[in-house]
Amino acid sequence: MKKIFGILGLLVTVFALTWILEPRFASAYNLQNIIRWTSLFGIISIGVAFVIITGGIDLSVGSLIGLVGCTITLLLADGYSIPVALAMVMALSLTIGLLHGLLITRIGLQPFVVTLCGLLFYRGFARWLTHDQVQGFGSSYEGLRHLAIGKIPLTDSFSIPIPFFILVFIGIIAALFLNRTIWGRYLLALGRNEEAARYSGIQIERMKILAYVICSGTAGLGGILFALDVNSVQPAAHGNFYELYAIAAAVLGGCSLRGGEGSILGVIIGAAVMRVLYNAINILGIPTQLEFAIIGAVILIGVIADELIRRMAANRRAARES
Amino acid sequence: MNTFLLLLLCPLALAACGGTSDAPEQAAKPQLAFITNGVGAFWTIASKGVEVAAKEFNADAEVQMPGEGVADQKRIVQAMLARGIDGIAISPIDPDNQTALLNEAAANTNLITHDSDAPKSNRLVFIGIDNYSAGRECGKLVKEALPDGGNIMIFVGRLEQLNARQRRQGVIDELFDRSFDPERRDPNSGVIAGDKYTVLDTRTDQFDYAKAKAQVEDAIAKYPDLNGVVGLFAYNPPLALEAIKEAGKTGEIQIIAFDEEDPTLQGIIDGHIYGTVVQNPYRYGYESVRILAALKRGDRSVLPKGGVLDIPARQIRKDNVAAFWSELKQLTGAN
Amino acid sequence: MPLLQVHGITKRFPGVLALDAVDMAIEPGEVLAVIGENGAGKSTLMKILAGIQASDDGEILIDDTPVTIDSPRRATELGIALIHQELNLCDNLTVAANIYLGREPRTFGLIDREAIHQGATTALTQIGLNIAPNTLLRELPIGHQQLIEIAKALSTQARVLIMDEPTSSLTSEEAKALFIVINDLRGRGVAIVYISHRLSEVTALADRVTVLRDGQNAGELARTAIHHNAMVSLMVGRNVSQYYAHQPHEAGEIILQAEDLVVPAWPEHPLNFSVHRGEIVGIAGLVGAGRTELLQVLFGIAPALAGRVLIDGEPQRLHSPVDAIRAGLALVPEDRKQQGLILEMAVADNIGLPGLHRHHRMGFADYARQNADAEQLIQRLSIRTPDAGQIVQYLSGGNQQKVVLAKWLALDPRVLLLDEPTRGIDVGAKEEIYRLMEELAATGVAVLFASSEMEEILGMSDRTFVMHEGHITGQLQRADLSEEAIMHLATGKAA
Repeated sequence: MKKIFGILGLLVTVFALTWILEPRFASAYNLQNIIRWTSLFGIISIGVAFVIITGGIDLSVGSLIGLVGCTITLLLADGYSIPVALAMVMALSLTIGLLHGLLITRIGLQPFVVTLCGLLFYRGFARWLTHDQVQGFGSSYEGLRHLAIGKIPLTDSFSIPIPFFILVFIGIIAALFLNRTIWGRYLLALGRNEEAARYSGIQIERMKILAYVICSGTAGLGGILFALDVNSVQPAAHGNFYELYAIAAAVLGGCSLRGGEGSILGVIIGAAVMRVLYNAINILGIPTQLEFAIIGAVILIGVIADELIRRMAANRRAARES
Repeated sequence: MNTFLLLLLCPLALAACGGTSDAPEQAAKPQLAFITNGVGAFWTIASKGVEVAAKEFNADAEVQMPGEGVADQKRIVQAMLARGIDGIAISPIDPDNQTALLNEAAANTNLITHDSDAPKSNRLVFIGIDNYSAGRECGKLVKEALPDGGNIMIFVGRLEQLNARQRRQGVIDELFDRSFDPERRDPNSGVIAGDKYTVLDTRTDQFDYAKAKAQVEDAIAKYPDLNGVVGLFAYNPPLALEAIKEAGKTGEIQIIAFDEEDPTLQGIIDGHIYGTVVQNPYRYGYESVRILAALKRGDRSVLPKGGVLDIPARQIRKDNVAAFWSELKQLTGAN
Repeated sequence: MPLLQVHGITKRFPGVLALDAVDMAIEPGEVLAVIGENGAGKSTLMKILAGIQASDDGEILIDDTPVTIDSPRRATELGIALIHQELNLCDNLTVAANIYLGREPRTFGLIDREAIHQGATTALTQIGLNIAPNTLLRELPIGHQQLIEIAKALSTQARVLIMDEPTSSLTSEEAKALFIVINDLRGRGVAIVYISHRLSEVTALADRVTVLRDGQNAGELARTAIHHNAMVSLMVGRNVSQYYAHQPHEAGEIILQAEDLVVPAWPEHPLNFSVHRGEIVGIAGLVGAGRTELLQVLFGIAPALAGRVLIDGEPQRLHSPVDAIRAGLALVPEDRKQQGLILEMAVADNIGLPGLHRHHRMGFADYARQNADAEQLIQRLSIRTPDAGQIVQYLSGGNQQKVVLAKWLALDPRVLLLDEPTRGIDVGAKEEIYRLMEELAATGVAVLFASSEMEEILGMSDRTFVMHEGHITGQLQRADLSEEAIMHLATGKAA
């Protein structure tokens, strides 16, 4: 809980500042939009967090989202039924995760290299598969698209976007898995010290493969939702850089790139910070050209503040123990 | 086509792709390249024009779509030059700063521009609409849609492209009834206020579709008094329509479009989009190949005076959308 | 006149008083041994002298002049050189480059290779090492690398040489060579501060001993008073009458048996041996004799190339630690911090890690049970920790080692393998670990331990294998055990 304190503070600060500067920021419509985007990015960030916890990295997430978006529309256009098409793209995603895991553990390639090749391959493959044609659901599949753009009314004026429920569901499962199951403990342990985990009788190869499968699985699910939301999948660009947003959210949320550390709630809050920042830039009318500069600066400030708070807490604890 | 089988066969398929390009060449056929500024349906239509013209004028023409911006485009141009290509038609992404590259190409082969011009380079001809005029056409549509004036937002992929800048300038100048001057330049962002119309802001999305949609949502949240949205790149209007639909503001916020994506045309039919300004990408492709093939064969008479082959823009509204769409389907061979 | 004097040095860390008004003095040409249990403050004192840490109070005098040592560079200028326990050398560079690393003589900004070569040759001659200065460091044995550290210190004109556990990774031959160099330096007036846990070395080498305990001066021994028991009682603050608890006992039936076992590093020597129920078997040998490799094969870290291992007469497939643990084996590895523990995790979580899969409901870990079991083991092994939730890295080395043992005791192993079980831990903890090994053997566990410490082998084992370059050169029963007999076999002279 202490770990997410810093990031929660950052979220509250950015939220409050934007609200003060522009009251319309807190309108129901805008908050619903933020929640929807946070949910989509949060889902993929949770998966990436699992890989980061093992001390690895997955750069292929954005391209996989692009590939999944193209594949699902093509499969539906080919006449497959919705459940079959969904099952097929999820199977594709999980297989890709398995492949990453096997290449990394059995052949001993570096995660950075394997997933970088994935980033290039899936993007190129998606473009070839679609002949670079923009894919979409048109005005059909409204029911399916409800998964991404639907809302469930909470009060007269406020509705909760459906992706939020998906995020909560996945977040709870992920948090239980990480903190309550033996496999979650094994992931944290091998992320801290792979050798000691091996000497303790943990099957580190299997656990690492599992992490990559989880990551590609959530990317696949995210890919479906992004495609349903935007309803227009450009093979060459859909999902570009999303792996970096996901990594940033995970790191903001307390995952160490050295491995062994991470909290699911923190990652979700990290994703929320990213989305609130993007929204604030538009809402405050800051020129889009400044966007990356502002986001980079705020993340850096957040990470620095988090580190300082942690050090202060450590010192206080040490002082108390003496 | 069975997508799933394709997925399984991907490595084989890739190998097969690599194999076909080395077919024996006929020396007499001009080798031509048609280079776009990115990827999209717009360019697919242009590709059809290229295909048809290549057959008609007995040339080998290859369409290249750079997916990663300026650097990618440069890589493609240089690869083509290295292959000793007989002619290049290009839509430069950043003409002012690509002059050196374009002149390098012009020095080694026949270079023409399409879609977006590079007037400072040594290109032989520009094929396309005058984007500034097209922008003014779009501005006229805005005036029709909002006869009593109002607040509008402009959305576009990126502003470093000349065509994007000129279109935007055309829209703004038309709204404020300014004189015809393609060289005028308003600041890239921020409020531009006039008597009747106010441009609240211009947002760029760098071709990230999710972002393009989110920006429209954010504009709806920020400006309760938003009356109109102008989408300057082909994908902008459909995404704006998605956002406005989800916000339950169809009819309340007018959409004025550019280009002819299917959802845009459907939106016009449904009455959710007021109108669009279309270019004729098919003819960009067709004319590019026609001129380059002739140049290779030593016929310089195909070059128009003034170095510009104007393919005028058209306004599409509810009254002529059906006719336009069927014509388009005929051109692209779509079902 | 003392060359270096330290008066009332005090250093506080958050929550700890690491040094409490410590005094120390050393004359030119003197070897001063500084000893104490882990956490006594030896390392902190040395870091202050080397300018790595600043003291909170007290003064340092060189040639009776007060000095301030605020950086490692300043320490070097004052003629103080510290040789760390872990070597600080780059093994991809040459010997000469290492000696001059960070202070390369330059001409026009470029490294003056000639000058480095000359200087390195001189430094190597001083320590009596006859190797070419352009040899790559990684091509040298570890003992020579240690000497290079000394050559590096000498080339900075050091007058005070501080050595922190210099023999911890040396063979006894290499250690002897080091002692010759130290004696030579003493003759040339260099003052040497020698920190070691190995009391036999201190007895052989030191002119004077300063003992630290809990950050304070615990006493001093002059040359004639340096005896093992005297040092130990000053270090632990009490008289240690029986250092080892070993009670030889009856060995039962065979539990672990290796038949023609081929270790990957030495495929030409198949190994055959057995360990009985309730027996403590030592594996002796010089560094690099293959003891660690053998234990790793048994534990499935590096599977055997051929041969087989039987537990209770049943052949076992040992391809991973998972297999080994299932077969009833447990290993306390050589490198506690890298292989034994996950330092950033809590004591209870470390103890529970290997056994987590034994008690779970549909994958959900039973942390209540883990913590309860851990509490019991903390009691049983008297692990000194504020609570079971303490992060392991904040424990002392001895307590960390007990946590490693606790991990395995929770699983009730049939065979306990230990690799250097008491390396780098203090006297008190050593004793407790020996007592535990005794206890386990008494309950019928077969204990197989490898050690480089002769006293440990002599004191603890019922039976001893001696290894040399990958094969077992001999076995000694407790009655035949002697330092000479072991050294004889360890140097490859088959019995």
